Amino acid sequence: MTLDAIPIHVVNQSPGEPGLTGNAPPLLRELAEQVKRLLESGEPSAIDLSALPLTPVDLDWLRDKLGSGEISVTLQAGGESTLNETACPGVWWVTHRNEQGAVTAQFIEVAWVPELVKAHPQDVAIGQEQLELLISDL
Amino acid sequence: MQGPLIDTLVRQGVSRRTFLKYCMTLASMMALPPAAGLAMAEAMAAARRPSVIWLPFQECTGCTESITRSHSPTLEGMIFDMISLDYQETLMAAAGFQAEEALHNAMRDNAGKYLVIVDGSIPLGQDGAYSCIGGQSNLEMLKEVGKGAAAIIAVGTCASYGGIPKANPNPTGAVSVSDIIKDKPIVNIPGCPPIPVVMTGVLAHYLTFGSLPELDAKGRPRAFFGETIHDRCYRRPFYDQGKFAKTFDDEGARRGWCLFELGCKGPVTHNACATVKWNGGTSWPVESGHGCLGCSEPDFWDAGGFYKPLSVPADPLKFAAAASVVGAAAGVAVSFANRARKGAAKSAHETTTLADLEK
Repeated sequence: MTLDAIPIHVVNQSPGEPGLTGNAPPLLRELAEQVKRLLESGEPSAIDLSALPLTPVDLDWLRDKLGSGEISVTLQAGGESTLNETACPGVWWVTHRNEQGAVTAQFIEVAWVPELVKAHPQDVAIGQEQLELLISDL
Repeated sequence: MQGPLIDTLVRQGVSRRTFLKYCMTLASMMALPPAAGLAMAEAMAAARRPSVIWLPFQECTGCTESITRSHSPTLEGMIFDMISLDYQETLMAAAGFQAEEALHNAMRDNAGKYLVIVDGSIPLGQDGAYSCIGGQSNLEMLKEVGKGAAAIIAVGTCASYGGIPKANPNPTGAVSVSDIIKDKPIVNIPGCPPIPVVMTGVLAHYLTFGSLPELDAKGRPRAFFGETIHDRCYRRPFYDQGKFAKTFDDEGARRGWCLFELGCKGPVTHNACATVKWNGGTSWPVESGHGCLGCSEPDFWDAGGFYKPLSVPADPLKFAAAASVVGAAAGVAVSFANRARKGAAKSAHETTTLADLEK
């Protein structure tokens, strides 16, 4: 007996390659909503990709659709993090890795600039002291 | 981001960005909304260090090792700077009367506000004489210290469910924290040992929100113990395809197939090993080729054998009873034969097989 002999067939079969669950496309709508919110109120938001039922193929699909933008940020802080702007300005693909290089968290952030990229005022103050020290040595 | 904790961390060379990244990752692991990472970082950086009293009872210190030596230097370790650890007899410099004085001072100064961490089970046999600290039984100590606690965190399977000391025949009458304390919030962080980040997560949640995280029916934080090892296991697709390793060195084992038939307890074990992993995300038992022992579940030691598949009846007593119905004489003969073979194997240094481990 073959599979065809069973009188059941899948309705709304997910198109394209195997591994696509169909869970990725709705995220584009959510992102559109979040970008709208950023433009209207300046409020940043994020989608936690590790908390969603997405297969590696889904993630590749999403990453491919969003494309690459002009800015790529690499952060060395307890392992490497990459914060890459996508082809949609204001939408950032953020990957956090630990010291061993394993991915610990993955987000899509919608913000003018992701929070992690900004320098903290107190760190800037330390930098100012450093500059003054340099000047005093001249 | 300002406050005592972040100041301490910066002094130790941890940048604000590293801390913020850590909080974002932690929030993601705890299934909190993405924005919670920033809120968590702000709140924790400014947190007033709560007093923590750590009571080691009938234990092997493995839980303490797991948390303090997770991998160095770690934020998990350094996060301990955000609490004021006022009593931990293994780690503290003080001993004897000075140590007991530190305990009583912490209890008096922070009455009703301090957190109690317990590792190890509590023996009830012989009026608790099996385990005493400074002449006081563990039972009395837990009751006395527990009275003024805001909450109790039971670290490890022994404190959570009785663990190995409680294994049959339980010679010391060991019980868990929740068997004794009924009127305080208790969080169980089982595991033998537990995963360090779960401990940090619970502390971080308490410092950020001023409350304990949501718990499951066995008192464990849902964020880390919500799913089984099996559900999150990278070998799960092989289970679904019916591809199983039959021994530890066959083709299937080499190809990384499912370890269910070698006794993996993943399908009934709730823990975060499959996602968080061990040794700084290096690997975890199933990835290194051994099935899950189910160490974060109650009575895992008596669950019928680490190498017996879950589909085989677990209760050895019931198994023996069934055998006796078939024929008591035959059963006795088999057990004698097994004993003889085990003895022969021992004297001849034969390689131990899977079947030998099951006797």
